[in-house]
Amino acid sequence: MPLKRVFFWQPNAGSTVNSQILNEVSQCVESINGVKEGRWKATLTFYKPMLRDQALSAEFPREFIGISLPEQPNKYYFVLRFNKIVLESDSSIQLIMEKLQSYKSRVALNFEGFQYQLGDFQLRVGKVVPSHSENLRGIVMEVEYLPISSLEKSKQIMEEFFDIWQDAISKRSLPGRFIHIEPDFLDYGLADHYTSQHTAVQYTHVTSQLIASVQAVQTGRN
Amino acid sequence: MLQQHHQQQHHHHLQSAITAAPPPSATTSTPPSSTTGEAPPKQVALAMDRLGQAARLIADIRLGADRLLEALFVASQPHQSSKPLHLFRQEDESMRQHLQDLRTVGKQLEESGVLNESLRSRSNSWGLHMPLVCPDGAVVAYAWKRQLAGQAGASAVDRTRLALKAFTDQKRRFFPHLDDEEDGEGTDTASKKHRNLPALAEDNQDNLSDCKTLSDVLTNLEKEIPNLKVSTYERLDWLKRASSLPASANDNTMEAPKHNFHSTSILRPALQNVASMDKVAVIELFFPSIFRAVVSLHPAGSTDPDSVAFFSPDEGGSYMHSRGSSVYHVFRQITEHATVALQYFLGIRSKTALHSLLHWICSYQTLFTKVCKQSALILPPVHRPYRTLSVSKHSSTQSISSTLDQGSNAPEAYHIGCFSDNT
Repeated sequence: MPLKRVFFWQPNAGSTVNSQILNEVSQCVESINGVKEGRWKATLTFYKPMLRDQALSAEFPREFIGISLPEQPNKYYFVLRFNKIVLESDSSIQLIMEKLQSYKSRVALNFEGFQYQLGDFQLRVGKVVPSHSENLRGIVMEVEYLPISSLEKSKQIMEEFFDIWQDAISKRSLPGRFIHIEPDFLDYGLADHYTSQHTAVQYTHVTSQLIASVQAVQTGRN
Repeated sequence: MLQQHHQQQHHHHLQSAITAAPPPSATTSTPPSSTTGEAPPKQVALAMDRLGQAARLIADIRLGADRLLEALFVASQPHQSSKPLHLFRQEDESMRQHLQDLRTVGKQLEESGVLNESLRSRSNSWGLHMPLVCPDGAVVAYAWKRQLAGQAGASAVDRTRLALKAFTDQKRRFFPHLDDEEDGEGTDTASKKHRNLPALAEDNQDNLSDCKTLSDVLTNLEKEIPNLKVSTYERLDWLKRASSLPASANDNTMEAPKHNFHSTSILRPALQNVASMDKVAVIELFFPSIFRAVVSLHPAGSTDPDSVAFFSPDEGGSYMHSRGSSVYHVFRQITEHATVALQYFLGIRSKTALHSLLHWICSYQTLFTKVCKQSALILPPVHRPYRTLSVSKHSSTQSISSTLDQGSNAPEAYHIGCFSDNT
């Protein structure tokens, strides 16, 4: 399947993310002839186990994340970041978890925005908001290259695309930049051929980076 | 007779009065305020109305002219009362009024574009046209009818000229090496290159005299190019295979399409079945994760390629054949370029065309890894020069732009905008 890189917005020291930046980014995509196609939405949920005996909580994974992706409406993905496990399951697992009362959602984030077509590339620009609020916590961008599926073969062209993107966005002098940190897919047992599991892992890592940067801003303030 | 003469004079006078009625300032670059507020059907209806009014006024004027002449006639008779004078004055007044009315209507018609073609270029979205009063007096409800009749002859010449131009453009685009010397439009450099090539081509063709049969060509190819998977199919079998290819590969494993009953195993020449080679019509070149190329042979079993197309390694469907088109821009552009290259190989080196084509196709295995020589544009470099591709056993090639020649063994890669025949 087509491969993608997920970027997140890293604000400069002392500045925060806001919806103005999101607007500027969207305009930038349109200025390089991106054709707006529609909306997209992904969700990421932190689960905690429902335990009678809280002492057992140490036996459970520290971070248990569930992800739903728009391109796979029938699937649900689980990632255990510290155990380096990724799992693809049917989307009905959420119902099962609810019925079993085994895990409860602790924090849920929505990634939503518009998607754009640029030749053989597809871009998604989205805001990161907690599921029941409108507080903008971050901005993510997905860059997808459609014709091939090999991560290795596509490395060069993805980098070239990002260079062009950087040229375009730097003209707007925004207080921050997009960053992509490639997770080590091999650790998760994932191969060179791209799949939605790769995407789930990327979102997990992006979320943890976003949280870290938000916390850094908060500790900076205190 | 006198009456008729007067009538005709009057008639001409009236006609010229009508055409002269609107003052010059009533023309036309600005749209008339009276019609902008109304929808086109209303405008057309109004125009038809006014034309009717004008026709009635003209009839009235004619009648009035008759009466005036009659009054004059009666007045010329002896011992008449003041009756003719009275008649005359009456008629005079009504005539002036009619003429005035006619001038008004004429102005309105002029403004709404009926007497001239001022509104023709402003074709409204309703597709309606204003009625047109042609110079000879005929009223045409749909002006384009007369246009069509009049222009049918002229347009045939135009259409032929356009068709010829389109054909010449296509020919120049897909068969650049067939341009005549008389054409003289920028083909000089191309034809000079060709004159240099035959010496090279002849030389190489001798080297390839042992690559005459299809199986020889394919064996040679697989030997020289690692990483390539070559498969052959009969035409219908290819269609089945293309339809069975997944649109997006769900599995992580490489595809190994050796299940095809009719495909021959190229790596074991001793076991080749000559009979089935005769039926091979489609060659598939698959570079895993990079691209899939489909070459069709005509007639089956020969070494004459007749079309080629490139596709994504993950594409699948019945549209994947040598005359089909990928859904991705990058592969569509390579296919277009490959079609020109194929024509070149067929035109210049028809005996080794298949061999040259397949080797040239293989040069695209660096599609996503080799940078363009001249720039780092966004698309992978889809242009591989084919004119100087040398297919000798040692497979060295001459680079067209020698400034950055690194002595590599593969043809150089260019983006479409970066490659110029003149470099």
